[in-house]
Amino acid sequence: MISFVLNGERVETEADPDTLLLFFLREELGLTGTKYGCGAAMCGACMVHLEGGPAFSCQMPLAAVAGRSITTIEGLSDQGDHPLQKAWIEEQVPQCGYCQSGQIMRAAALLDSNPSPSEEEIRSSMSTNLCRCGTYNRIVKAVQRAASEMSS
Amino acid sequence: MSAPVEFSRRVFLKSGAVAAIAMTAGGVRMTAYASEDTEDAFAGWVEIRPDNTVHILFPSTEMGQGSETGLPQILADELDADWEQVSIHQLNEDDRRFGNPAFGKILYTAGSSAIYGYYSVLRHAGATLREMVRESAANEWSVDSASLDTRESRVIHPESGRSMSYGEVVGLAGFAETSLPAPAVLKSPEHYTLIGRSVPRRDIPAKSTGKARYAMDVRVPGMLYATVQRSPVEGETVTALDDKKTRATRDVIDVVALPDGVAVIAKTLHASLAGRERLEIGWSNTSRFRNFSSADTIDAYQKAAEGDAPGAAWRSEGDARAGLAAAKRTFDAVYTSDYAYHAQLEPIAAVAAVEADGKGAEIWVGTQTQSWSTRTATEVLGTTPDRIKLNMMTMGGGFGRRTELMQNYLRDALLCSKAAKRPVKVVWTRPDDLKFGAFRPAVAQQLRAGIDEDGRLAAWHHRVATPSVIEYFNPIRWDQVKPKDIVTMRGAENQFYDIPDFLAEHVKTERQARILPWRGIGASYTSFAAEAFIDEIATAVGIDALDFRRSVMHKNPRGTALIDRVEMMTKAVPVSEGRARGFAFAGYGYTQAAGIVEISLNRDSGAIQVHHVWIAVDAGQIVSPNNALNQIEGGVLWGVSSALFERVTITNGEVDQENFYNYAILRHNMAPQVEVHLAENHEKPTQIGEAGNPLIAPAVANAFFALTNRRIRHLPLTPDRVLGALA
Repeated sequence: MISFVLNGERVETEADPDTLLLFFLREELGLTGTKYGCGAAMCGACMVHLEGGPAFSCQMPLAAVAGRSITTIEGLSDQGDHPLQKAWIEEQVPQCGYCQSGQIMRAAALLDSNPSPSEEEIRSSMSTNLCRCGTYNRIVKAVQRAASEMSS
Repeated sequence: MSAPVEFSRRVFLKSGAVAAIAMTAGGVRMTAYASEDTEDAFAGWVEIRPDNTVHILFPSTEMGQGSETGLPQILADELDADWEQVSIHQLNEDDRRFGNPAFGKILYTAGSSAIYGYYSVLRHAGATLREMVRESAANEWSVDSASLDTRESRVIHPESGRSMSYGEVVGLAGFAETSLPAPAVLKSPEHYTLIGRSVPRRDIPAKSTGKARYAMDVRVPGMLYATVQRSPVEGETVTALDDKKTRATRDVIDVVALPDGVAVIAKTLHASLAGRERLEIGWSNTSRFRNFSSADTIDAYQKAAEGDAPGAAWRSEGDARAGLAAAKRTFDAVYTSDYAYHAQLEPIAAVAAVEADGKGAEIWVGTQTQSWSTRTATEVLGTTPDRIKLNMMTMGGGFGRRTELMQNYLRDALLCSKAAKRPVKVVWTRPDDLKFGAFRPAVAQQLRAGIDEDGRLAAWHHRVATPSVIEYFNPIRWDQVKPKDIVTMRGAENQFYDIPDFLAEHVKTERQARILPWRGIGASYTSFAAEAFIDEIATAVGIDALDFRRSVMHKNPRGTALIDRVEMMTKAVPVSEGRARGFAFAGYGYTQAAGIVEISLNRDSGAIQVHHVWIAVDAGQIVSPNNALNQIEGGVLWGVSSALFERVTITNGEVDQENFYNYAILRHNMAPQVEVHLAENHEKPTQIGEAGNPLIAPAVANAFFALTNRRIRHLPLTPDRVLGALA
């Protein structure tokens, strides 16, 4: 039995401890906002928060999250109204959208640790996350917009 | 959209067009509408219900391009519908009445054709229903219909101050008998309320909260997961299989032979992958594809390009050979380009639930075509379309990856579900999608050009040596279009320049890998070759790169306006030290674009950095400006990524790359600043989604020359090629 805290609630499971957190979230819990993109920590589509910091859920077997706290895109805000999510809509960021959960989770972790990042810091921090549609520049604007809202 | 039909009739309009209106239990539905003298009818484009909601069909598929919002916006504008009351409904069947006019009524979302293909038909549908509503209200009030206004789903009689909602109008007893006295007149642009407005995309909130559901996310009760071990080399088959260890893996249910591989069906994706690792498969060793390595392929294609064997003319004007012979001075060069991978961020997934008799199925898939997904299912199950319930899922990127006539991912899901007698989701991992994907083809191009006494381009001969993409990915379409392959040749037509003696031809070579359309299709390499070659000539004759193009564009004022615009955009910005700029003029289809890039170079590593891109685009009437900007920005970044990094190599028939660690695409910290100008006019809308990328590679190559005085004629401009050019 493995237990951990997910989006503020306790989860217990008998699943194979080698099962990746990503697959467990998506298949067992139906939390499909976290995406599979590469399975190799190269694209960031699977990004969640582990103890508040950014983490690739495609690299974490369930055994590794036992007793720890995980937040997914579904738990980032109550009503989908985190300042970043509002900024994503305001800036009309997504195209295909498949990477955007991971982008938002990465950006949320960045703003937690650095509430007013420079453009260079945003680009550098966000470079773990690929967007094939090419929305990078809109992501920068949206992160800046959210940072400004959160600081005011 | 499926309320029972109680009544329907055809209304013959004075224009010769036909509209058929169905009264449904719920309201009125335009069941048929045909314009432009065709007899094709269409069903259910739009429905107005008594609760005043408006329901508009979305006939394309959504892969990020935004037409799920953009297409309904066009119809709603002509209808004068209240956008807040509009619901959008995905077309989930192969109903050719709604087919893409740009693709012979196939349900096919490709070639950046949704807005440009459907624009006219959607406007006519909206306008016809609007006029019917207006006429019906006029009858009810006994006033002249010309005295009525329509606005935000209401009919208004300004003189008396009376008004009725559309929902009330369609509930009138006489509505179904309303005559249509005149052909519906389309709005003039000053009356547009939604066309040309940056209406927020309907899909963006769900895509910002993790709620958007892709094929990869589909879960249905009892569903199993399958992954497939495919032959490392195309054409090989299984000669020996030991699946004991696989079957002994926890949660593995079954191992199933497929046409080109072995599927492991399991309760979880984790178990399927673990079981797949333990398969012991012997493969045949006879496929001709084992003979092919990409470096040799490009050499072979280059010999074909340089040879004399005539190709299939793609565009011909005057006499190119005679023009070259008569030219004051001639030039020639060979350009090559590597295979490239789509790298859509959602790898492939498809879910099928086959019925007990094996002849019916519900399927969930993200593809660019209802028509070919339906056909795949009917072919695989030996059944008829009425037995297939299709669910077109929003896609995590398309870019041409999901366009095939026979979709092997969907085929495999159907075969696995049939075998397991349960719903099955087939998942391709990223390495599966790269190793077993299909690519933009490798290409070699021979260009020859001649200039006249005034230094203007007078003769042009462009030979494109590569296989036919269409012949491979859609043999049915090939039978209709051969020998003209738009996927292979797009861009080589060079229609924006006026060159009197012109020939672009396709030298069709042997296919040595799996190939598919790829964002920009042929223009992603033909424009690279053509625009870098033109830069070579301009340099040789000592004419400014922009002026050299202008000299063959006197019949193309919209094109020269773009050159003027991009020149103006950059003029005030000094070039940063250690950097250089390059220009290119290309576009996609009927859309023209002029662009300038600014690059720097790390002379030790050979890495090029693109810092800034300015681009001016004329795509006619823009339906949704902010989304169009997003598409162009994305196309530009795609162009930068493919110009600098993207290269698939093949050794003895096996793809060498497997994931983003050896197939790099552009990351955040390498993205240039992008400034886009969209020309403002009310001409017919043309392509947007693929208009941004074709000019980037030649502009980068031209900037590289400006910086180093060296030419790189092989795409992409990777560090090894840069260092080779500098040596």
